[in-house]
Amino acid sequence: MPTITIYKDDFESLLNGGSSENRTIPIEELETLLMLVKGELKGHTPETGELRIELQDSNRPDLWCCEGIARQIRIKQQGQLSPYPFLSGKSKSRMQIIVKPGMEQVRPYVAACAARGYRVTTEGLAQLIQTQEKLAEIFGHKRKTVSIGIYQLLKIKFPVSYELVKPEEARFTPLGMETVMTLAEILMVHPKGLEYGAIVSGAGWVPLLRDAAGQPLSFPPIINSREVGEVQVGDDQLFVEVTGTDLCMVVLTLNIFASNLADRGAIIEPVEVQYPMDTSLGKRVKTPQDLGKSKAIRIDTIEQALGQELGAKTVAQALKTYGYHVAPGKGSVKVKLPLYRQDLMHTMDVVEDVAMSLGYAEFTPVMPAQFTVGGLSDIEQTSDRARELMVGLGFQEIISNILGSPESYSSRMRLDETEWGRMVEVDNVMSLSFSCLRQWILPSLLRVEAASSRAFYPHRLFEAGDVAIPDATHELGSRTDTVLGAMIAHAGAHFSEIHSCLDVLFYYLGKEYSLETIQHPSFLEGRAGQIVVAGKPVGVIGELHPEVLERWQIAMPVVAFDVNLSQLMS
Amino acid sequence: MDISSAVIDSLHPLEIKVLTTLGARQSETVLDSEQLAAAAELEPSQFSMAVEWLLAKGLITIQAETVTPVVSLTKVGEEYYQGAAPIERVLSAARDAAGTGKRLTIPDLQSHDGLDPSDVSKAVGRLKKEGVLLIVQGGCIETTGRPSPTVEAIRLLLQQLHDSSCELAKFSDEHRRVIEDYAVKRGNAKEPFRVDERVTRAFRLSPSGAVAAARLMKQGVAEEVSQVTPELLKDGSWRHKRFRKYTISLRAPRVGTGKKHPYREFLDTVKTKLVSMGFQEMRGPLVETEFWNMDALFMPQFHPARDIHDVYFVKQPTHASVIDESVLAHVAQVHQHGAATGSTGWGYSFDIQRAKRLVLRSQGTAVSARTLAASPSIPGKYFSIARCFRYDQVDATHATDFFQVEGIVLGDDINFRTLLGLLNLFAREVAQAKEVKFLPAYFPFTEPSVELHVRHPRLGWMELGGAGLFRPEVTLPLGVTVPVIAWGLGLDRMAMVALGIHDIRELFTDNLELIRTTRGSF
Repeated sequence: MPTITIYKDDFESLLNGGSSENRTIPIEELETLLMLVKGELKGHTPETGELRIELQDSNRPDLWCCEGIARQIRIKQQGQLSPYPFLSGKSKSRMQIIVKPGMEQVRPYVAACAARGYRVTTEGLAQLIQTQEKLAEIFGHKRKTVSIGIYQLLKIKFPVSYELVKPEEARFTPLGMETVMTLAEILMVHPKGLEYGAIVSGAGWVPLLRDAAGQPLSFPPIINSREVGEVQVGDDQLFVEVTGTDLCMVVLTLNIFASNLADRGAIIEPVEVQYPMDTSLGKRVKTPQDLGKSKAIRIDTIEQALGQELGAKTVAQALKTYGYHVAPGKGSVKVKLPLYRQDLMHTMDVVEDVAMSLGYAEFTPVMPAQFTVGGLSDIEQTSDRARELMVGLGFQEIISNILGSPESYSSRMRLDETEWGRMVEVDNVMSLSFSCLRQWILPSLLRVEAASSRAFYPHRLFEAGDVAIPDATHELGSRTDTVLGAMIAHAGAHFSEIHSCLDVLFYYLGKEYSLETIQHPSFLEGRAGQIVVAGKPVGVIGELHPEVLERWQIAMPVVAFDVNLSQLMS
Repeated sequence: MDISSAVIDSLHPLEIKVLTTLGARQSETVLDSEQLAAAAELEPSQFSMAVEWLLAKGLITIQAETVTPVVSLTKVGEEYYQGAAPIERVLSAARDAAGTGKRLTIPDLQSHDGLDPSDVSKAVGRLKKEGVLLIVQGGCIETTGRPSPTVEAIRLLLQQLHDSSCELAKFSDEHRRVIEDYAVKRGNAKEPFRVDERVTRAFRLSPSGAVAAARLMKQGVAEEVSQVTPELLKDGSWRHKRFRKYTISLRAPRVGTGKKHPYREFLDTVKTKLVSMGFQEMRGPLVETEFWNMDALFMPQFHPARDIHDVYFVKQPTHASVIDESVLAHVAQVHQHGAATGSTGWGYSFDIQRAKRLVLRSQGTAVSARTLAASPSIPGKYFSIARCFRYDQVDATHATDFFQVEGIVLGDDINFRTLLGLLNLFAREVAQAKEVKFLPAYFPFTEPSVELHVRHPRLGWMELGGAGLFRPEVTLPLGVTVPVIAWGLGLDRMAMVALGIHDIRELFTDNLELIRTTRGSF
């Protein structure tokens, strides 16, 4: 979900399709219009005209830019998408890119076009750069599947070659640097080389775009040449290139750039890419290229999903005003997405576009009428009953994180290297404080006790909640059990005091239990018991070991129990 | 004299003792503190408390205050008593010198151990005036052999006043002069005697006190007690007792209580509402497979939200031992090419090992996916309040560990409009909101998707939740052929307002005082 910055004047000018009279759009109206693109206005600076917009749809990269947002709204207002002339087969491609053998091992695909006649403005340049960054970063998985370069067209001699070179053999001055560097140096020194180098540096050979004069254009997906690849305000002859690992995504990305530049008044000239191998689009691939396929969709499927009779005409009109190519049929409609979209996987995708085009407000909510019985799971009912009893026994309920630290859950409890100290641990630890799941509840309560020595005594605390217990017999390697922990702290806290509470609890839960002496490192020896129900251990009770209290910096005796409700009821 | 019986009834036993002691004597009897305390048989501290209370209530008055000068030893005086006063030391030094024939000068004396030069000057001056010492040529000191009345008086007084004080008036004129000369004064704290003024007060009953005393003495037969005891009840002796009345306007002492956690209480109300609307609770594990957490929800394995920076992975074991083979195969095919769902699929090769990778559940929708695959009721409504984990830096608005309230609704009458109807119901029941807005939204597993915005009675417009119809790519491979609503409610903001907190971390606070005193208004 990218957030982008656009300029209101620029946006309004694009919305009007270049006509000289720009209508100023009030912010409230803008917020309504943004519903068409699943956009949310996050900020507005009236002095500069900056608008910050969050785009929600991760399958619609064409909307992650000023041009795309304006286009979707403009189509709605104008009634349809005006066709892009560069798609008609007539336009010749005078420019070629020759893909050399071996590219399929590293970064196989490239697409490109030229754009003439649009003089780059400050706002336009900012959008070009932002779109380049957002598409490569989010849609292109941090440049791995797709990255983009933009150049000054007139400095390039065609045909351009896309080839593999040894990192030491090619050199150019990269953007952001003053001196000529080899590709190997770029990988080691340049910030972009350090950030993205791992994508291509594994094979010993790296990709390079070079023109007919042997001049490097770019080291994709790392960095462009400063000589050729630095576009400035005022330039009006541009060359755009996209490289990547997925041909459809590469072509789609180029289509988006071509549409954006065309919307700003540029004439787009296609480029022919010649592959040594066969691709899903053939050996010679002209780009931009419309990859859309027609799909017939039944009207009644749409009506059923939306719960409303619409008719073929309404559906067709809704889709047309949302940019689709539409051909009405009998009881169905044939649709094709515009060239800058590729997100039609299922009829339901079209259904949503129909609803958005008509506006969600057009649909009257209807209550689901079918009768269902509500209820709680058995363990939740047990847990609720136990909580009720603990409150009756004068205990204050606590609620805690489940994700915590080995120090709290094990070390301070004297459980390191013991069976009780085993926990589900996180592999990709961000912070030690959040690196394992609790395997019992007592540490969660001691956490509160340790922080609350100034709250008046006695302290009677409990928590009923989920824990994760490592269990090799379970398919997930651990069980999620619901456990009740309770503790009492005050100057005279005593085993029998907590034992009485356990007794009451088990009486009302309807469970006969016995206590068996146990040596548990968290408790004082001779004052700890395993709670056994029907021959099965379901918990522990005892006086906390002074060393445990010391490690928690608790200066008050504590008695406690920990009962596994899931085991108790199973 | 007018005096309310409330005043009389609430008198403390100590007050009653003093009042009745005075009342038992002839009217207008005046007793001083010592006499009164003795007659009332009270300790000095009890007596002074009772007297202060009675004075404040106007039941007794002070008849007279007598000021008596009293002499006592200072700390310096006690030291002199143990050792010797400077004047004694000067005299004995002079006599020693006369005995040995040594010359003694004032500087010699001033260099004596522990003797202050000013004390030496004062002593020499006094002894010279008494004719006990002479200063001869060369500043030498000689004794005349006469006794010093001052030295004798000081020694006598030190002995007499050691450990007790005495009224100044009881001493002879001569001794009084010595005391005055050697008493602590402003500017000279280093003297053996101190003269203090002792104030003695004499009390009598005020007119209202006399009425109270008379009343008390009349009813005096009944013994006053403070507590109803089992013994009093058992033998019926309570009938002959009077129970002291309390001042009930005092602040109540604090009492500890058993109580649910306010946040849990909030979640309980949500739970109850969902059950009342016909939702059945579902539960799932904290540790999940990527399969149920994401694959089953048609999130492609290359989806950015499945990155190592977005989900917590489990260290050991890294993978589930088994996932139902047929469900796994169905989902894999749908990812690859859509299978029989009418979808194109994502068009990549699905990694079954990846599907088994264990993670900490990152979304409650994982629980819904499991329910879909476990032959749910149709029609059916389900919910879960599931703990989820997000790989995020913790701050005032982000918790790594939080509850998600989520669920599904299945049925052949489910469509976009019934979805909106359900959201309307949530808005009304959960947020008490009358106005709602539906905005287009995006979730990887629903189409169409809706964001529910409501006008909360206290918060204004806010996002309450998200929902949508599960994509057929989600439902069909799990064996569900009817349309399914997936919904989720974002309740933490509402909870924080209800609990009056501003930092999401406080929902799980370790501050017991805060937990005890937080009072939710749901």
